[in-house]
Amino acid sequence: MAEATVEVRNPSGLHARPLAAFVKGAAGFSSTIQVSNLDRDPELAQNAKSMLALLKLGVRQGNRIRISADGDDAETAVAVLVDLVASGLGEKVGPA
Amino acid sequence: MNAAALRGVPAAPGVAIAPPWHPPVPAAHLPGGVPLIGLAQAVPKAVEEIEALADRLRRAGRDEEAEIFGAQALMAADPELLETAARLVEEGQRPDEAILSAGEETAEVLAGLDDELLAARAADVRDVAARIARVIRGEEPPRLERRSVAVAVDLPPSVTAELDPALLAGIALEAGSRTAHAAILARALGIPAVVGTTGLLAAAAGAGLVAVDGERGEVLLDPDPAGLADLERRQEAEASRRAADAALRDRPLATADGHRVMLAANIGRPDECARAIDAGAEGVGLFRTEFMFMGRASAPDEASQAAAYAAVLSAFGERPVVIRLIDLGGDKEIPYLPLPAEENPFLGVRALRLADAGHAELIVTQLRAILTAGETTGREPWIMAPMVADLADVYRLHELVAMAAFGQSLSVKPRVGIMVEIPSVALIADLVAPEVAFFSIGTNDLTQYLLAADRTNPVLAARQDPLHPAVLRTIAKVVESGHASGIPVAVCGEMAGDPAGAMALVGLGIDELSMDAGAFGGVKRALASTTREQLVDAARDAQSVERAADAREIFDALRGADRVT
Repeated sequence: MAEATVEVRNPSGLHARPLAAFVKGAAGFSSTIQVSNLDRDPELAQNAKSMLALLKLGVRQGNRIRISADGDDAETAVAVLVDLVASGLGEKVGPA
Repeated sequence: MNAAALRGVPAAPGVAIAPPWHPPVPAAHLPGGVPLIGLAQAVPKAVEEIEALADRLRRAGRDEEAEIFGAQALMAADPELLETAARLVEEGQRPDEAILSAGEETAEVLAGLDDELLAARAADVRDVAARIARVIRGEEPPRLERRSVAVAVDLPPSVTAELDPALLAGIALEAGSRTAHAAILARALGIPAVVGTTGLLAAAAGAGLVAVDGERGEVLLDPDPAGLADLERRQEAEASRRAADAALRDRPLATADGHRVMLAANIGRPDECARAIDAGAEGVGLFRTEFMFMGRASAPDEASQAAAYAAVLSAFGERPVVIRLIDLGGDKEIPYLPLPAEENPFLGVRALRLADAGHAELIVTQLRAILTAGETTGREPWIMAPMVADLADVYRLHELVAMAAFGQSLSVKPRVGIMVEIPSVALIADLVAPEVAFFSIGTNDLTQYLLAADRTNPVLAARQDPLHPAVLRTIAKVVESGHASGIPVAVCGEMAGDPAGAMALVGLGIDELSMDAGAFGGVKRALASTTREQLVDAARDAQSVERAADAREIFDALRGADRVT
């Protein structure tokens, strides 16, 4: 079990384009990975491998998300996904 | 048979004549049919289709659409969507119906999230579910066999993208607006389109030939030989005008003796950038922002506004983009902006005046979104306020900008200017010029206010000519005041795109003309036919004639042989 929190700085939050990058990243791990939006409903955790589920989190710029993973590659999965989000998921983001 | 002409909304210019093509209507139920394959087999096939489509669009340089389908491919294989559908199948639903219900369920959640970008994805989920259902039923994707005009209630993204643009001659829709996906696509691809055509489907049943006139917003069914000949003439005239304009594309806007004037585009939506840039725009002189505020239940949020502004700023790169603050008032019905009905809405509470009528937050939110767009793109936004009457309004404007910037450390500072359209501010232009970064004259409203002639009353149309000596004198004064303070003076009204009007404006010393990109060619030709000195002399003479028509004659005479455009 591993988890970490990261702030989303993409100008339009996590909409389809950055989420596509995120979901593709998550799909590479065997662990069960969950994401929740701490600034909307921290209790609602969604499947990190489902773009439709993640869209429902309504993550906007400045929201903090928690990524938690359970499985053999949990540590790596969380580290890689946090890195992906921090680097903007392929979009240009300003300094933190 | 005589032609039945139906009126719609012009969505993309041009004329097309071809037999109709009706896209297959995805039925919710397959009457008596049996699904061919199960969900598990259909999904990879649907994903494959979507990916092939995305690839084809990318190769055709249609990156933005390709991205939509890249996201759709992920949705089609989405574990949540498929689990929901599989559960419904276990409960006894047919697989095609199960995926449609699962898609609808997800789409409704997304549409209810109160976030525009996410709500737009609801349409994608429905589209994806419909595709999987089609594959399950063993139906082929829609395909054009010959050059056709698509006739439908509406066209979903998957259908329009799937069709071969070389065979899609035109689009006629019963529903939809200029902002419908199909309309945007039609403009991007240069396919004539008319939308919002009431009664189209019923009238088109059995028609053998459909003509779409995207300039006039007309759909003709089975036109008679005379009507057909007329349409073909228009088609040819349009083609030769386009060819002539294309030849001028890389020529700057200048007089015969080389006096340069900046050429900018008026746009109403971010997706019009490509057309403006392609036509040779050196910037945006007027980005109308009302499109985001119309036809919706609640005000657009800051993030979706910022995304739209950023899209335009980054599309134009180093070139300046003037974003006009909302120009809304009692003449429009806006659910979230309850304004009392007024006798004279154009002299009433509108635009900047909303700030003092309990709606300051609306304007501050828009300003914050513009500042954010400036930060994320690193491009300096030019902010323009309409309905500025005096110095107090100018100070109020600066105050609102300061409120929007409060607490933020901005690395990109906006330029704040005003639209000159109220006669009072034109009269005191010398007092106002030192307080703003630029003037942009809105000649449509300036003319209506100056001549007390209602723009919306067709009986007074002849009194609406901005070449009236009173308007010309007012513009001359504004230019003089602006230049004395070292700020640029632009014109963003229709006068700028009218060849005679543009000539008068350049004669009066205007620095920038901003107009619809479709008017670039005509204005370039008009200016290139004269010298600056001739225009200055003509503009001086035009200020002392009896009527606007006399002034028009002066400039038309100068254009001489070039008039036949």
